[in-house]
Amino acid sequence: MKFHRIAGLLLKHYYTTTNKADRLFDMFYWPAIDLFVWGFASMYISKISNYNLLSMLLGGIILWIFVWRGSQDIAVYMLEDFWSKNLYHLFSSPVRLSELLFSVILFAFFRSIVSGIAMAVLAYLMYSFNLLSIPIAVAGISVFLLSLFGWIMGLFVAGLILRYGQRIQVLGWSTVWVVQPFSCVFYPLSALPLWAKSIAVWLPTTYVFENMRAALAGSAVDYSAYFLSFLVSLVLLGVMLLFVYSSFRHSKKTGLLARGD
Amino acid sequence: MNSIEVRSLSKSFGDVKAVDSVSFSVKKGEFFGLLGPNGAGKTTTINMLTGLLEKDSGEISILGKNPNEDWEYVKNRMNVSTAYFPISDVLTVRQALNVYSRIFGVKDYKRKISELLVKFELSHLQDRRIILLSSGERTRVAIAKGLLNDPEVLFLDECTVGLDPDIADKTRTLMREYQKEKGAAIFFTSHYMFEVEMLCGRIGFMINGRLLNVDTSANLKRIIRKTTVEMVVKEGRAKLLRDFLLEEDVDVLFMEDNRVAFEVASSGDRLYRLMNKIFAQGFKLSDLHIKRPTLEDLFIKLARRK
Repeated sequence: MKFHRIAGLLLKHYYTTTNKADRLFDMFYWPAIDLFVWGFASMYISKISNYNLLSMLLGGIILWIFVWRGSQDIAVYMLEDFWSKNLYHLFSSPVRLSELLFSVILFAFFRSIVSGIAMAVLAYLMYSFNLLSIPIAVAGISVFLLSLFGWIMGLFVAGLILRYGQRIQVLGWSTVWVVQPFSCVFYPLSALPLWAKSIAVWLPTTYVFENMRAALAGSAVDYSAYFLSFLVSLVLLGVMLLFVYSSFRHSKKTGLLARGD
Repeated sequence: MNSIEVRSLSKSFGDVKAVDSVSFSVKKGEFFGLLGPNGAGKTTTINMLTGLLEKDSGEISILGKNPNEDWEYVKNRMNVSTAYFPISDVLTVRQALNVYSRIFGVKDYKRKISELLVKFELSHLQDRRIILLSSGERTRVAIAKGLLNDPEVLFLDECTVGLDPDIADKTRTLMREYQKEKGAAIFFTSHYMFEVEMLCGRIGFMINGRLLNVDTSANLKRIIRKTTVEMVVKEGRAKLLRDFLLEEDVDVLFMEDNRVAFEVASSGDRLYRLMNKIFAQGFKLSDLHIKRPTLEDLFIKLARRK
């Protein structure tokens, strides 16, 4: 990997973001809408049930941004090059797939940090929810593990796009939401029915949100669950990288890379 | 050393053989043209040479290296421009050139970009998004991008499509100057026969995935052996001329009013001797048109023969 090529690709992602309102919009608009809806809903539930849901839900919403952005940005920035037929120029230049993936991941992480901070500020202003009430180590590990899982999901979709092209572009926005119900973002693992629980236990995200709730409730955090989550993520990351590279080779065989359709 | 060396290159898509055991070479500093009808395999060949498409079999050598093994060396010294893929249309002209100059590691890239913007008359469009440009303007951006890294091997795939005659002419001049100045090998595909003839030292004809002929324009035109001659004679003499030509075993194409058209062999002095005989017979001409074979004739002939 060469620094000047990664810098060139980061510049391209930056220009794409600043030139296209959609890319700025999805950093702030949807997370803010989530924050409004769930914030007001939990305030209402708190009123009628004396059960304080607010911090659990807002913490979940803000941390979920890291999975969401990681996954969607990798897919969408890959699709941007399909839409503008730029893959032809990128891959006839010295750019390597690893450089493109690295740059997209780095840029997605930067976007998720900006989006996460903006939502944390908004949550503080609107609901006096302080994200820093989560211990810094727990917050840091959560951001890392959730981002990692977002990249895994993003790589999975990127692999599918490289293999099947734009006809499956809808997966770029939708795939990450398939795992959300099983990730226990807003409710504990124990709340899930058995069949759903059997899926949830395999997801690295489940343990991150379980620990977030424990931290917010002042209970003990299970650090071994983080370790398990990290190990599962590493295995998944390896599998997804193999998948993306295999899809890339496939697209070079079928001509999809040159046609960009 | 040849800048491009291709041996038995093949590529199939399912049952369709897009490129069928193609071999050719392009010398350093040569302007090489590839002609062929749509679907002949020209773009597939370029895509394999630029690493966008995996070959089924055969060997490719660029600048004496195997692109699969010395990938970085090769890709830093080549570039490609095409009218069909207008870089990233989300970006402005300057942004796109900025991005690719970083990717190619161009030193003093600001000066280089400014130079190219002036050369291709894009300075006034530099802050406009590529999607808002006309097709000719987009093509000029693609060519400017193709020259960012001063490539030793440049692939130009139908890159003058959509350019107005003035800009197309300027572009051809710039390409020729670039080739002479840098000694670059230029691999050129086009549907415009006159520009291929004007620019390219050697030309390859590709039909149905096969490379049929590679030669200079003059030699290629000899494949069409006939020259067409159209004569206008005095009233009432056309039939006599036709009969005379038939006696001389000449292929008469048509006779219409005072006009007679016929074909003779392009090689040797057959036409010269025949003309002398016609004049010796006392035929007086009021008009004469001799049509030598062109690349277009050859293109049509080969394309229809497929």
